[in-house]
Amino acid sequence: MKNAADTGTPSGRQSPAYSQSIEITTASELNRRQLMGLTAGLLLAFTIKDSGRAALAAGGPGVVAVNAFVGIGTDESITIYIGGGEMGQGIYSGLGQGVAEELMVDWTKVSVKPVDASHSWLTGGSSGISRHLIAMRQAGAVARDMLVQAAANTWGISTSLCKPVNGSVVNQVSGATLSYGKLAAAAAVLPVPAYGASGPTLTPDSQLRIIGKAVARPDIPSKTDGSAIYGIDVVLPNMVFAAVKHCPTLGGTVSGTITKPSGAIAVVNLGNAVAAVGTNTQQAFQLVNSVKVNWSIPASSKLIDSSLYATQQKSLLANGNPFTVQELGNVAAAFTAPKKVVDATYSLPYLPHACMEVLNCTVNLTSTTCDIYAPTQAPNLVLAQAISLTGLTAANIRIYPTMMGGGLGRKFELDYVTQAIKVAQAVKRPVKLTWSREQDMGNDRYRPSALIRIQCALDSTGNLIGWKNRIVSPSILFQRGAPGTSSDSQATEGSTDLPYGFGSRLIEYVRDPAAAPVGFWRSVGFGLNTFAVESAIDEAALAAGVDPLVYRQRLLAGNTRWLNVLNAAAALGNWSTKPPAGRARGIAICQAFGTIVAQVAEISATSPTNIRVYKVACAVDCGNAVNPNSVEAQMQGGILHGLSAAMFGQVKFAAGVPSVRNFSNSRVLRMREAPVITVSIINSGFPITGTGEPGVPPIAPAVANAYAKLTGTRLRSLPFYPNATMSDD
Amino acid sequence: MITLNVNGKTYQVNADSNTKMLWVLRDILHLTGTKYGCGIEICGACTILLDGEPVKSCDMDVTEGVGRHITTIEGLAPAHSSKLQQAWIAEQVPQCGYCQSGMLMKAAALLSRNPHPTDADIDSEMDNICVCGTYQRIRAAIHRAANS
Repeated sequence: MKNAADTGTPSGRQSPAYSQSIEITTASELNRRQLMGLTAGLLLAFTIKDSGRAALAAGGPGVVAVNAFVGIGTDESITIYIGGGEMGQGIYSGLGQGVAEELMVDWTKVSVKPVDASHSWLTGGSSGISRHLIAMRQAGAVARDMLVQAAANTWGISTSLCKPVNGSVVNQVSGATLSYGKLAAAAAVLPVPAYGASGPTLTPDSQLRIIGKAVARPDIPSKTDGSAIYGIDVVLPNMVFAAVKHCPTLGGTVSGTITKPSGAIAVVNLGNAVAAVGTNTQQAFQLVNSVKVNWSIPASSKLIDSSLYATQQKSLLANGNPFTVQELGNVAAAFTAPKKVVDATYSLPYLPHACMEVLNCTVNLTSTTCDIYAPTQAPNLVLAQAISLTGLTAANIRIYPTMMGGGLGRKFELDYVTQAIKVAQAVKRPVKLTWSREQDMGNDRYRPSALIRIQCALDSTGNLIGWKNRIVSPSILFQRGAPGTSSDSQATEGSTDLPYGFGSRLIEYVRDPAAAPVGFWRSVGFGLNTFAVESAIDEAALAAGVDPLVYRQRLLAGNTRWLNVLNAAAALGNWSTKPPAGRARGIAICQAFGTIVAQVAEISATSPTNIRVYKVACAVDCGNAVNPNSVEAQMQGGILHGLSAAMFGQVKFAAGVPSVRNFSNSRVLRMREAPVITVSIINSGFPITGTGEPGVPPIAPAVANAYAKLTGTRLRSLPFYPNATMSDD
Repeated sequence: MITLNVNGKTYQVNADSNTKMLWVLRDILHLTGTKYGCGIEICGACTILLDGEPVKSCDMDVTEGVGRHITTIEGLAPAHSSKLQQAWIAEQVPQCGYCQSGMLMKAAALLSRNPHPTDADIDSEMDNICVCGTYQRIRAAIHRAANS
């Protein structure tokens, strides 16, 4: 049977998630005023139109707005203004490389700054570089062409005799040079060249000097001396400090009046929380804890309960009314007379984000202006919220997106920003609002839980001839108002369009109506579904008596792209050699956000609570790695993030109260527990795709598969080590 | 008034005696490189040096710092010039970077006591939390600094 997914050849394949077109103009005076710190010179505005996942999340496809700028200053500065935020994933260097490549300058000459919020885009979906690199390269190419034209006009010669070299244009007749800075003013009054449909000429792949090189990220030096400014570090003159206390029970609200404790500058009723304002953060934490609050708790809060949820999920799995997500072939026939059936149910818990930087926001509100300093993945949504709450116009509101101490999907949300604006309205002074770690973990938008059943029908030779997969999980989008009459691709991603030769298949989704607040967590649905899919494949392989690598190779026959990644990981992980005594290896693979990642984990264990992962070999195909060092870092980080979650991560609810309070009962791996990770990058020539999230999903099934090999026991429930704790040793 | 010596400078601080050193540094002295992560001495993002020894400043009363030499990330070296910071840059250690001040302070203390630590020495000493998962690069950077 022919599979729905691609067959692994680059020719003619389009990146599936996005379609995009680009318009380029000289920036208007209004645009110019919106940018911070721009000197005089050439400024080009780029309208990148797309219909990708992040655009959908923002409220609909086809978002059309000027959303990037390239400035060539008369002071020789080269600045790009982009809408994505930097949280260590390397977007600033990746897009800076693209502009520098086409401008023919040393990439370190390009500085990257956040664009104003009205032009920003959501930072998520592992899309920052993949979706914008071509646009930024075009930006650099147009600026280069206009600078060359300005030079040609100055010298009265043809542009063909002018060559851009290292930040200057060289007159190939006289040998004279003019720097970009000296040409910027003349270039600024030229019309933007009319290009054909293919746009300006970009550097051929074979001549790339900067893209594909392991360049040093520009944000790193400031992260080694304390000078990087995260949201929590913002200091404004005359600033006061606020802290919040939410109702300990989710869904509860403040009832009656609240009294300002002695020493507080103010207390503020925030609906589901109270804020107290003091003269430093610690005092604000103490003050807010001392505020006496009567909470009104709706009956529905009691239903946010893990024991109720467990029963409900099982019931939905057995009897729920499913959406058919994908159906290929005759599944019923495949299961009529199989030789063997593998029937396994996997469960995954709710998870907190626990970014190292807790939620915080600083606001300076006057009667006519509002400045907001926030670590946010969504400056445009922050702007819209500020307009709504203050009644000011966008022109009078300025959003300063700061460095983020982790985003992980939590910093899409607006709860902490809303609170800071409301407190600023009450105290009429600049205010920094900070959540304690306990508030941060206890009031999250948790990664949804899932209960996933997979049934595999095997024929007499062990071949997979039928695959049934039913997913029960809450819908993030439904909880935010999307219609409940359709499935949710974010809950099912990673289960559909798999290139395995399953024979016939049926993928179903049952929406879990649980009211626990859920949100986007690094890798979203791929993290849920990859655990189930890659565990089930392994179970089928064992049932067939075939090595799990070989079984996958057979199922992927003909798909050279997946096979290349799978085999690279296997080779890197020494799959064909015997592991040291007491250890075993497990393998898993996924394609998330377009990027294919395979991992081999080598572990020892005598019980699930003492699993030790020694090594992880990881192969990744993200099309082409723009910055290989950054891709490696994202794989290393994704693996450890996924491994911490697989080992320890969970939130339980008891009558509306979340279990997690701090790292004391939400353990993460420390250095001494972390595996050594090796990464092999495959540049396949497919369209570039992102790497911020795809490193996460394969590690949990790779470890579970190794554990099954080692002990004969299958771990179908995450985390492996529930109720783990941490102390200060 | 409380007198503190931070990074070789003397400060007069107006704070209650039970104010934690972390918040004195951050909110009063505006030395914001030292980070808040958990407040319960687990994550280590708030690590500073007290007479050269690493301590978690989130649960340390400001008065415990009186008469001592306090070093924060801002005082490690001018313009990230120390061998450790240069190694951190060479190994491209930080991702989000939020925990790295604490990691660097901890590593500085380790190297001053043990100039050539083994992997096991590093693993045993470096118990701060990094959610981005930069541990492997931190280990490499410490070796690089030790060998430079």
